[in-house]
Amino acid sequence: MEAIRTLEGLVDHVRTLKGAKRLAVAFGQDPNTIGAVSRAVKEGFVQAFLIGHEEKIVETCRQEGVDPKLFTLVHGENEVAAVKEAVRMAREDEADIVMKGLVDTSKFLGAVMDKERGLLPPGEVMTYVCAIQIPQYPKLLFVSDTAVIPVPDLRQKKAMVRYAVAMAHRFGIPLPKVALLGAAEKVSPHFPSTLDDAQISKMYQRGQLQGAIVDGPLDLFCACDKKGLAIKGVKTPVEGEADVLIFPSLEASNTFYKGLMLFGGGELAGLIQGTTKPVVVMSRSESSESKFYCLSLARLMAEETLS
Amino acid sequence: MPIRKLDELIEVVKSQGKKKRLIAAWANDSHTIGAIYNAMDNNLVDAVLVGDEGAIRKTCEENGFDVSRVTIVTAPSDVKAAEKAVAMINAGEGEILMKGLVSTDKYMRAILDKEKGLMPSPNAVLSHVTVIETPRYPKLIVCGDVAVIPLPDLKQKTAILNYLVATAKALGIDRPKVAVLAASEQVLPKMEACVDAAILSKMGERGQIKGGAIIDGPLALDVAIDKESVEIKGITGEVAGDADCILFPNIESGNVFYKTNTKLAGAELGALVFGAKVPCILSSRGDSTKTKLYSIALGALMAK
Repeated sequence: MEAIRTLEGLVDHVRTLKGAKRLAVAFGQDPNTIGAVSRAVKEGFVQAFLIGHEEKIVETCRQEGVDPKLFTLVHGENEVAAVKEAVRMAREDEADIVMKGLVDTSKFLGAVMDKERGLLPPGEVMTYVCAIQIPQYPKLLFVSDTAVIPVPDLRQKKAMVRYAVAMAHRFGIPLPKVALLGAAEKVSPHFPSTLDDAQISKMYQRGQLQGAIVDGPLDLFCACDKKGLAIKGVKTPVEGEADVLIFPSLEASNTFYKGLMLFGGGELAGLIQGTTKPVVVMSRSESSESKFYCLSLARLMAEETLS
Repeated sequence: MPIRKLDELIEVVKSQGKKKRLIAAWANDSHTIGAIYNAMDNNLVDAVLVGDEGAIRKTCEENGFDVSRVTIVTAPSDVKAAEKAVAMINAGEGEILMKGLVSTDKYMRAILDKEKGLMPSPNAVLSHVTVIETPRYPKLIVCGDVAVIPLPDLKQKTAILNYLVATAKALGIDRPKVAVLAASEQVLPKMEACVDAAILSKMGERGQIKGGAIIDGPLALDVAIDKESVEIKGITGEVAGDADCILFPNIESGNVFYKTNTKLAGAELGALVFGAKVPCILSSRGDSTKTKLYSIALGALMAK
């Protein structure tokens, strides 16, 4: 396939995929959630199960001018019960995608991470990966972790790279260029993340990890700006054209993506990774466009692969 | 042209012009004095012997050495001799320090003394560099630390790396290839040698190690120096199979490496302690005559 370079391109690609995936929405009874899900249902991307109070869901649909018959309604007494039911459906293969509705994020993720009844296999790491589109960059940027892990250690960062690379593969980028970001390209014991970056990039260089070209530490100029790279004279196989940006901390990545949304005309699609099935967590402040992109991304990632 | 044999090193030092002055601490014994006369016979250095004048003269007489060829400076004891030799270096009277019959710890203590010693700064790292000529490798191997630092941390490894590179460059290798050694070429986070090697090789890539060396690690010894192993294992990079320098993760691996080469493979070597203001020779009585000569030659090559 040709590489998907925009979020519109993502939607177009998802339109070519066959069959709707089953989406279980935990406490999906607020206008935000119902609005986003109804669009994905109408596009034929998903078949949605809204878990919550049926009357409340129907009422919200009426207020929003959405036909409740678009959805299968499942009773959920309260937010905790609704979350449990959504996760159970995914575990027992009654759903392909799980989505957070009007539930407190920490309660929702707690259920997703639950060791016995959750969706996170042992040894995996829950992280959030965003595909960000900005006018100034010629392709999508896959950014991690913008929402979950505060300061990743070596193991977590390796997982972050692996998930973001897997997503880039799904977008038709067979060998994505991954930049492990720091404030500079130098390795220094004063910045422990740079030591991890050196190790991870060497692991890919040695071929003990595969599927991507990985280098770090690199600053954002070296990662994404050929001119900046040339001025600095740094040699990196990422060559100023990164597909994937792995951040050293949540503060940095979160500020980066919010800055792009606020000042840079950015749009994004984001998804929880590391789980057995795609998990959608959207903030209410995201644009309706971004919400639709998130669901399109989830549909793409729910697609079975040959492997 | 890079120097590929230790005998070539002797020739290069001979052709250097002005001879460097070697100051030997507590140089009363025939091993030390013999090595120095051998070096002088090869036109490598001029020498000052600091020690017991009577003993020095007696040793020279017994061995047929012309005592007028050296300067003798009297010192009453081994410790005083080491201090005096160090003081003379600090006064600019010599460019190479050599250990005589004084024990290694007393010798090192004189070098490391905070006020009167030879350390250029409190943070300077004293470390040992060995240059090995081993029959089955086509060039010299510059390696460390086989004798001074037991378990170097990252900062010490960086210092050792700099000494290895400086030595290799003095031997005529423009862009020395440095293998940072570990038990595997994979980055295994549970092995500190692997972790530090990955970090150092990235620092090399980023130009943080001066001297233009090409640094790669972790590399196991086979893939560091044996092209066939490199092919079999499919390792890429300029260093693999062709290392000029080897940085050991600890003193045990370095020590076993050099002794295996000298005792089982017929290797020769020269060695120096780096990190002080001048190159320091740390020869022991167990060293062969050749090793002592090569060490002095190496000291003369590295002295400013």
